[in-house]
Amino acid sequence: MFKLDRKLVTIGVVLALGSTLALATVSAVAPGIYKSKSGAIDGGVTYPRENGNYTVYKYNQQSTKGVSFGRAPTANEIKAWDVDARPDGVGLPEGEGSVELGDELYEEQCAVCHGEFGGGGSGYPQLAGGNMAKDENGAMITLKNQRVYGNTDAPKRTVGTLWPVATTLFTYIRDAMPYAHPKSLTNSETYAITAYILAQNEIEIDGEEMDDEYVLNKEKLMKVVLPNRNGFYPNIDGPTAQEDIRAFYADRAKNIGAGVRCMTNCKDPGGQDGKTPPAVMKIKYEMKDVVPAYAYAKDLPPKKKGGLEHPGKEAYEKSCAVCHKTDMMGAPAVGDKHAWEATLKQGIDKVYENTINGKNGMPPKGGTSLSDDKIKEIVDYMVQASK
Amino acid sequence: MNKTLEVEESNSVSRREFFKKTASVSAVAATSILAPSAVLADDENIIHHVEWGTTLGDECNKDPYGYPSKYEHNVVRRTSALMSSAGDMHAAISMTPLAELSGIIVPNGLHFTRTHNGVAHIDPNKYRLMIHGLVEKPIVLTLEELKKYPSESRILVLECPSNSAAEWKGPQFGTLQFVKGMMSCSEWTGVRLKTILDELGLKPEAKWMLAEGSDGSEMSRTVPIEKVLDDAMIVWGQNGEALRNEQGYPVRLMLPGWEANLCVKWLKRLEFGDKPWYAKEETSKYTALTASGKAIQHFYANEVNSVITSPCPEKDWKDLEKGDLVEIEGLAWSGHGTIKGVDISFDGGKNWIEANLKGLVLPKAWTRFSYMYRYEGKPLLLQSRSYDDSNNVQPTVNQEKAVVGVEGVYHRNAIITWQVTDMGEVSNVQIRS
Repeated sequence: MFKLDRKLVTIGVVLALGSTLALATVSAVAPGIYKSKSGAIDGGVTYPRENGNYTVYKYNQQSTKGVSFGRAPTANEIKAWDVDARPDGVGLPEGEGSVELGDELYEEQCAVCHGEFGGGGSGYPQLAGGNMAKDENGAMITLKNQRVYGNTDAPKRTVGTLWPVATTLFTYIRDAMPYAHPKSLTNSETYAITAYILAQNEIEIDGEEMDDEYVLNKEKLMKVVLPNRNGFYPNIDGPTAQEDIRAFYADRAKNIGAGVRCMTNCKDPGGQDGKTPPAVMKIKYEMKDVVPAYAYAKDLPPKKKGGLEHPGKEAYEKSCAVCHKTDMMGAPAVGDKHAWEATLKQGIDKVYENTINGKNGMPPKGGTSLSDDKIKEIVDYMVQASK
Repeated sequence: MNKTLEVEESNSVSRREFFKKTASVSAVAATSILAPSAVLADDENIIHHVEWGTTLGDECNKDPYGYPSKYEHNVVRRTSALMSSAGDMHAAISMTPLAELSGIIVPNGLHFTRTHNGVAHIDPNKYRLMIHGLVEKPIVLTLEELKKYPSESRILVLECPSNSAAEWKGPQFGTLQFVKGMMSCSEWTGVRLKTILDELGLKPEAKWMLAEGSDGSEMSRTVPIEKVLDDAMIVWGQNGEALRNEQGYPVRLMLPGWEANLCVKWLKRLEFGDKPWYAKEETSKYTALTASGKAIQHFYANEVNSVITSPCPEKDWKDLEKGDLVEIEGLAWSGHGTIKGVDISFDGGKNWIEANLKGLVLPKAWTRFSYMYRYEGKPLLLQSRSYDDSNNVQPTVNQEKAVVGVEGVYHRNAIITWQVTDMGEVSNVQIRS
């Protein structure tokens, strides 16, 4: 820390000197270190907007009061778009669906990705089937799994083990599922699938088990308390929520991890036993199957397969188009059917010959040093493009 | 094809052979005062006229919207099945080729992309933005109406909170692109949300904002009002042009320094309320599970971070000679504020020296750092460690692991280590217990 402070002092001195010489009216501020206020909700700083300056940015200080565009939405427009639902049930729609119907719909539309009974598919989220036992601190035991020091058991993140609230399940399914056809389910169908997934997680509502005949609706969904409701921090509910969040991120060393600006002979915390010193860990099995494949050469891209571009086209554009693109130079313009019909009356061999040897204003080979064959190829292209 | 200058051509074959043999030492010889009369092979790229100097180039506006040089065709975003669900590339991530970039602005075509239900293509004529809930005057805006609001521009880093997620349990990818490529930095242009809200009249009980996208995933997130009124923006411009489709054309939310996931793309609706919504991407996903079995929710800012971009696995030091003076260069950024400095270690974090910042040093943006190094051809464990104006110092792998464990997926900012061998090869390793 001493070194850091010393550096700041040094910067301050140098800059104070520089600004005296150059801009006497600007107060000395270390470069890149702007006037700021700590204590932002995310743990960071905020920067003031004052006198037309916001850090290094200038802004227009004229009042924007009265800038107003757009119009008021109609009641129907708000109704059409304001369909979110909160944990307190505000926003949940009418409708109902049974576990049994949900089972049917799930098998048809969801199981292909999420597996039978919500048990997980190849790569898509598992929805049910996690062990919901808790430890003495109320933490879900499966969520404590850490794949370090030889342990290979992953935490199981399902609706029953991880999710805090069930209203999210309803909006998730209705708005974003099924994956390839989002927003294709009715509210009642969504209640049914929600009911089925909750039942697979052995959720009870008001002490009642969810059997096949159980019918879920708005009132019942609001009452669901998922097992991991208290598995999250910081607190985001109630009147103290935002101050709780601020306090949490103010103590970042304790809550999210932080480094120390040590400069010499630095020591790192030990491993599992608190002692094992850090060592170099290398990649065991490198993930190399990336798309497009790794390549770094500064070369020309491979020619596209099946490209039907005439072999003479590129050379034509480079060397001949300057005169032949239009007839302004007196040359037959490529694309001008009549001009080329007239030219070709003398026979293609004569056209080749004139091109190679030059004619009127056109120099031999159009001034290029291309081979005779290449010149013929270009002529072929020009003829073809003028049919 | 090439015209030749007036040079001796009679021994051209043997001259080429000679060129091959001496090319690698010619540069040294040319500057050596000990061998002023050494015979140098001629570089044919200098001796002969080059092809592009002896032919007509393309017409000036052949490509009305231009492309990079064809020779740069390998500089592209890349993805991997590991970045998707079951290999499906509609809910996936593509990585920015950081090693190939210069400065702090990412070309729009190389900006990393994260989608949850594919890239939506919005007809700007049909685009509507609704702002409602706990405001005195709810509104609906067309795109043209929105763009009439006074604009500001900010150079800001956008980082997916999953950046480096594959590295929690150990190094997995062998390139900078895949170790840290879930981020980009651009100049974004739009209107400050506060400018609009000043006119709409926020009700005092409004504590949270729901931001909702209009793509198939209906991405939505809850934002605390303090951020909304501080520096949040609704943006439509990206490096001087309209947002790319992959970045939410025509409009996305921009919360400077915060998870890119919170910067909702294809923005459709902002609703103000008195309670948080518990949206799907702030509950089932984007919460960071810690070793206690509980998870951090409402994880907002991407932490102080840095990575050395040269050398790196893609830009190694195999062509260096002992004694060469070479620049070590990298990127530092912090969602909490402005980068104050970067330290570099050559011995895996035991000892550190201060690097220099260069270029623009902006809040919540990429900041370039630089250090001139005399290459000695010995093995190194090269690291960078950044610190910001919010008293954050980038942690070691062990320091971060000790607090949050290895299953959190999100917000990894541990120090990155490049192992440099005595041959100048560079690989991704970790220093950890």
